[in-house]
Amino acid sequence: MATDSDVLYPPRPEPDALTQFFWDGVNEHKLLIQRCSNGHYIHWPKIVCRFCLSTDLAPAEVSGRGQVATFTQPVQPFHPYFQQHPGYVLAVIELVEQPHLTLVSNVVDVAAEDVRVGMPVEVTFREVAPGFTLPLFRPAATGS
Amino acid sequence: MPNSLNRVAIAGVGYSQTGRRLNLTNDEMVRQAVTAAMADAGMTPADIDGVATMGGEAMSIGHLLGLDPLSYFFTSNGGPAFVEPAMNAYTAVAAGMAHTVVAVRLIRQQPGQADRNSGAVTMPATVGGDAQFTSPFGADAGAVAMIAGLEMTAHMAKFGTTEEQFAINASTQRYHAGLNDDALLRDPLSVEDYLNSRFVSKPVRIFDCDYPVDSSSAVIFTTVERARDWQHKPVVVEAGALSSLRDMNFYQLDDYATTSPKHCADLLWSRTDLTPADVDCAQLYDGFSIITLQLLEALGFCGMGESGPFVEAGHTRLGGSLPTNTDGGACNVGRRHGANFCIESVRQIRGECGDRQVPGAEVAVWTNAVGPFAGAMLLTA
Ligand SMILES: [Zn+2]
Repeated sequence: MATDSDVLYPPRPEPDALTQFFWDGVNEHKLLIQRCSNGHYIHWPKIVCRFCLSTDLAPAEVSGRGQVATFTQPVQPFHPYFQQHPGYVLAVIELVEQPHLTLVSNVVDVAAEDVRVGMPVEVTFREVAPGFTLPLFRPAATGS
Repeated sequence: MPNSLNRVAIAGVGYSQTGRRLNLTNDEMVRQAVTAAMADAGMTPADIDGVATMGGEAMSIGHLLGLDPLSYFFTSNGGPAFVEPAMNAYTAVAAGMAHTVVAVRLIRQQPGQADRNSGAVTMPATVGGDAQFTSPFGADAGAVAMIAGLEMTAHMAKFGTTEEQFAINASTQRYHAGLNDDALLRDPLSVEDYLNSRFVSKPVRIFDCDYPVDSSSAVIFTTVERARDWQHKPVVVEAGALSSLRDMNFYQLDDYATTSPKHCADLLWSRTDLTPADVDCAQLYDGFSIITLQLLEALGFCGMGESGPFVEAGHTRLGGSLPTNTDGGACNVGRRHGANFCIESVRQIRGECGDRQVPGAEVAVWTNAVGPFAGAMLLTA
């Protein structure tokens, strides 16, 4: 049976030792991505860089700029929170820092029918519930 | 056959009873499928010395059905559905690890929306592991139609594929299902029916999705020499290929429009002198219809990005240049998770398909693929 917290909030992340920095960064309105000593970005966080096998990895702040790689509009999501937000845009965002460096997020501040593959976007930090912030993406400001 | 000691053939195929919420145990479903395949071949348990499965556990299946002692056993931990145990069965026989291996798929109907509404299935309030980067954004674990939505959007954007072309694909497969007594959905489906149907995860509609059921399937691989002793003419494995571009992460593919089938198809064609022009029918995984279209392109039956027009022109319909998913596909025979494509290929090559028989079929290709991983097998008379 759905509980009040199910209805009001999306599922909350449970950070672990590898991922704590990402969510700490989100809470400070910074988008932090793991980067190795040779400059490769890795997301989701891992113990090793899969491009050069470096284990010298640290969080690095990225620009938050990117483009919509692809998207979908789930019409019958399972989770009660999202059932209350029909027509949300679930998207894969490719960041400008590195080809195929992607995050899963939502595109907001634009009508779903106006979202396009290749659309430039930028990160926006939204408090979806008290004390619970998520990194979402909105159409990039012109000239940014 | 390069790189193999023994030539391999399929000697028997079989299904369990298949349908929604059958209330059969896992063991009973596997028993039905394996005994059906043994009966098809004319075998007894003493003729089988290996088990490869996705669903259940290989050694337990061997013991349950008196197939032990086993010389080979493989239990999948997740991969491209039935083609994974099938490829293990094939390679085990090719390498001489066992002489006769049964490949099994057991899959149960997933919980539906009714189960969630009733509270029988609840969603977690917190998520760890990989899901912490997806579920907070509404990418539910197990909601694979969302991933198909990402792929379908990408294909339509990159190549101009239209929803009418997806409608024709669904209608074509349903036409084939109407010719198959074993299909579960057989009523004609028009282009208009498709376009008027509900979305699951836009642009994916309900008729782009395979039909969830309880099912078990079994296919017996043995050497070509041994296969000659059994009831049917051997169906020979000409080549096989597996591909993994990623781990089980469906949410970070480099190219959602094409995904892994291209790598898999290139490997397959590198292992045979046959070419796409030699193929009489194609049985291409349709967990979601976009995957079938991606596989048509990857296997070289049409140009990259041209699967929409290829389907629209009628090439994939019985009577066309490449009859595809001639049993109706998993959208209509139910989610047998790839096994139906192998079994339909065998039955086409044997000439057992009645109203849906492709005349003179001697070469068939069947596949499984989803996003980051794929498998393909080429079968001949
Ligand atoms: Zn590196």
